[in-house]
Amino acid sequence: MEINELKEQLKQQIINALNLEDLTPADIDDAAPLFGEGLGLDSIDALELLMVLDKNYGIKFHDRSQSKAVFASINAMAEYIEANRTK
Amino acid sequence: MRSIRFNGFTSISSGIKENNEMISAISDNIMSPLGLTTEENLRAVRAGRTALMKHEDVHGARLQESVVGSFFEELPAIEGYTAFEALCIRSVECALQGKDIDVSSKSCVFIVSTTKGNIWSSPADSAKKVAMYFGNEVQPIVVSTACTSGVSAQLTAWRLLIAKKFDTAVIVGCDVQSEFIVSGFQSFKALSDEQCRPFDKERKGLNAGEAAATLVLSSKVKGEWQLLGGSIHNDANHISGPSRTAEGSWRCLEDMKRLTDAEDLAMVSVHGTGTLYNDEMESLALHRAGLDRLPVSALKGYYGHTMGAAGLLETILSMHALDEDIILPSKGYTEQGTTYGVNLSQTERQSCGKSFIKLLSGFGGVNAAVAWTKAEAGNCGELQADRSKWEEVAEVRLSSSDNLKEIYKTAIGNYPKFYKMDTLAQLGFVGTELLLQKAGAEAESETTAIVMANHSASLKNDTDYEATISDKENYFPSPALFVYTLPNIVTGEIAIRQHIYGETAFYVLPSEDKLDVLIEATGMNPSVKTMITGWVECVAADNYTAHLRLLKRE
Repeated sequence: MEINELKEQLKQQIINALNLEDLTPADIDDAAPLFGEGLGLDSIDALELLMVLDKNYGIKFHDRSQSKAVFASINAMAEYIEANRTK
Repeated sequence: MRSIRFNGFTSISSGIKENNEMISAISDNIMSPLGLTTEENLRAVRAGRTALMKHEDVHGARLQESVVGSFFEELPAIEGYTAFEALCIRSVECALQGKDIDVSSKSCVFIVSTTKGNIWSSPADSAKKVAMYFGNEVQPIVVSTACTSGVSAQLTAWRLLIAKKFDTAVIVGCDVQSEFIVSGFQSFKALSDEQCRPFDKERKGLNAGEAAATLVLSSKVKGEWQLLGGSIHNDANHISGPSRTAEGSWRCLEDMKRLTDAEDLAMVSVHGTGTLYNDEMESLALHRAGLDRLPVSALKGYYGHTMGAAGLLETILSMHALDEDIILPSKGYTEQGTTYGVNLSQTERQSCGKSFIKLLSGFGGVNAAVAWTKAEAGNCGELQADRSKWEEVAEVRLSSSDNLKEIYKTAIGNYPKFYKMDTLAQLGFVGTELLLQKAGAEAESETTAIVMANHSASLKNDTDYEATISDKENYFPSPALFVYTLPNIVTGEIAIRQHIYGETAFYVLPSEDKLDVLIEATGMNPSVKTMITGWVECVAADNYTAHLRLLKRE
């Protein structure tokens, strides 16, 4: 899958999993931080994102501190998925 | 506008002190994997025993991921009763053994403290079966305020006894562990894969535990320990994460300081779950309240987190330890792991003082504390009962024909968190918004209480969460769904939105009319000036009803 296609797919998965009803994939900036100001996500969203990665890409984090860097932005997530996906 | 006159409301203007009302503990029981009586449990803890061990299954249900927990090898069985009900019954039975306590009397109320009960049936129905088992026909009350339930239940009992609604309260706290609960905590990454280490530098999380504990309170018979009262405060911060500034727990401790004589205070029995953030929060709460030099007792290293039983189990054990003039050791603690030091010890210590505080905190941002003493003259001056009347200033009714999302979009808006809530929370949230709009009022942070109830607890969301774990080939427990499997989360969502640091409570009852006496009881808290009350029932995404009222003290 092409990386841009992956990013679009990922954005839709995030919107669905985190119930970001007022947003469309176009509203999410590839480089903007996902946490903090950005999308207003919180700690439960972070846990739910772990599940999104596990469910859709077969990626499990054994060290949670590692996930922080991965959740930095859509770009960071897409790159990590490309390199580590098992499905 | 109309004036509220609660059924059986008696207008006694004087406080407790003048009435010389005393609420005593007259019997108790702890039934846990460490022992089936309070004495056995005390002995086990003093001997340093723990029931925490690695399990691959919970009561026969195989887990996807092993867990360290404290589970009964065999749960009690009584024909016609669920394991949860049977465990409650055996604990109450044990507490009553050899005691001359008439629990079948109309002046005795059963109060059940639980977070999940049976899961698939209303805990109100289970409570009724438990009360009926003992020949008690009074409608029982289920307190369901997440991990604080066991302390909130003590405060509810205290108020009902002070108000002379009853003279005896049998409070039983219980939760039975299951794949449902364990998988949820796993999805929250809240569990330690070792025995938990409350407040320690190396702590990694909590352990799941199960137990039942019973405490019988009386206003008629005097016992050695007196319940001085209690306090509940919301963090108004987050539904699962504790306040970084310990808003709720700190307020609870300040209230308890006013109830107790500082020189008499032997210790604080803390929650001490062993999670990174909650232990940190509690250490800050103690520090802010100036209580950080007081000995502290944390018992989760022996039992894990026994959920609905924790508040009662830890209160009872604290009383019996102080009867032996000791502070119980805290297993798992070796080195300070919180910003502010906590006066914990892994060895038993001599106690000094005749009073203690029991503190808990839980999901939904709720914090609760009670204070107990065996000093001759309890200093129970300030948190006396206020009996002034309440007036209804607004009322809102919602039903399945009202589209919550549409109401949010047209009448509320600009709060994206709304979409993340389960239907029960959305129902309470929308109802409260409309209620305040109707009254043209904003909720005052410190003096507003939220009291809600229903019959089905979190049934609709329990079903949704269960769907994420029912297929073993497609097993992805959702933390965002799990958090809403506690019905009191609706009160937390409202507290966050309205910035309410006051009392939040959730009850599970057979019908709405049974809520009035509990609203009245909450109104006894003199610091409460406004109450947002509501019957919020949600059995399916398209089957819900709500009746909310905004009450003000006259």
